[in-house]
Amino acid sequence: MDREEQRDRFLSLLRPIETDLENYSRRMVFDRRDFEDALQNAVLRALRAFDRYHADASFRAWMFKILTNEIFTINRKRGCVAQFEIAVEPEEMGEFAGPDSPSELPLSWETLADALDEELMTALQTLNDAERAVLLMRAIGDLRYREIAECLAIPLGSVMGNLSRARQKMRDAILRARRRSML
Amino acid sequence: MRCAEVRKLVGLYLDSELDAKTSFEIQQHLGSCLECAGLFEAEKKFDERLGQFLRHGKSTRSLWERIEARIAPSGSRRIKALWPLALAASFMIAAGVIFLARLRPLDLANAVEECHSAYAHQITTPEFSGTVPERIVQQFGGRLDAEAFAYRSSEPAFTSSGARLCHVEGVPVALILGHCANIPVSMIVLKKSELDHFPETKRKLESGDPIACSRSGRYQFAARVVDDHVVCVVGDEPRPALEDLLKTVRRADG
Repeated sequence: MDREEQRDRFLSLLRPIETDLENYSRRMVFDRRDFEDALQNAVLRALRAFDRYHADASFRAWMFKILTNEIFTINRKRGCVAQFEIAVEPEEMGEFAGPDSPSELPLSWETLADALDEELMTALQTLNDAERAVLLMRAIGDLRYREIAECLAIPLGSVMGNLSRARQKMRDAILRARRRSML
Repeated sequence: MRCAEVRKLVGLYLDSELDAKTSFEIQQHLGSCLECAGLFEAEKKFDERLGQFLRHGKSTRSLWERIEARIAPSGSRRIKALWPLALAASFMIAAGVIFLARLRPLDLANAVEECHSAYAHQITTPEFSGTVPERIVQQFGGRLDAEAFAYRSSEPAFTSSGARLCHVEGVPVALILGHCANIPVSMIVLKKSELDHFPETKRKLESGDPIACSRSGRYQFAARVVDDHVVCVVGDEPRPALEDLLKTVRRADG
């Protein structure tokens, strides 16, 4: 495959996921001005490494991994060092698999629909890097847990733990917003 | 299954991350337990709404056009108009290349820099110490072996806190996390056959230099071939110190 064909193939794989990559980048960078640079650097980097991309692997997961690394690098330059949680061993996974008690679950769709987007955005900012990255990779990237673990080089148990905590924090934030709106 | 067990698995179930047997058992439980079924439904709706919010936003067409233009420059007219400038630039580039080539990090050094940086910033932590767990071995895909995790330095100042499996540019590597006089130092071991992915480093190591050195970002890098592996050490240490450390690296079982 010559360079031109390779570039065309790269673009044909990239275009369907451009929106997801952009949304992910917007919500991951500490400074909003950086999201374009992160995307641009990631795409250029991915194209350069495209000959090492294996066709049987998920292009989506591969691109999210490259973009995540780029975002962490940019965030670090802004003085925001990503702090990941301590690794969780598989035997501890059960603790993070879901809410501990049923009382944490009943949050109606209506409650959520009423919550303001700003509240969600603020709640998103309160997540630590690992929680935000895992939540966004799952929700926007639609990545499998194993793919997320590989992207972030963290154990599968940490993916589950971070995802569970992230969802809980978002849920709590929405409940708080709901309570405020009822005052 | 009991309600408490089922509820613990709500996230995994909705994300389709459970095995078929457990999913089936949960489905059966939900069919007979109205309370759990209601809770699962609420959680599903929450997840859907949260996903809608997070995915909300259109792609900025102009941004992607700019990005695509950078990787697929089009329009020969534009190129023609710019050729005198390009010619001048090419002279400058040619002059600079020789100088920069000496400063440019080796491909492998560049690739492992992020790996070490993540460790130095406590993003990466050890997964195990001692024998490589079977679940890790299963992830080698025939491209790494447990021996890669057995390398240690006899330098007394070097202490290892554990290891983990990592992928560098798609290549599985053993990442042995350590410290040298309280400074984080990563030891990265890959199969010698994987050097094809890093042609610059391969060329350097095959050119007769026993140790390939480079600098990438703020970190020094040194690599050498030991048996069937390539052992690299990376850290914010002076180059001679890293080279000395690398020379003392042996396989614990060797």
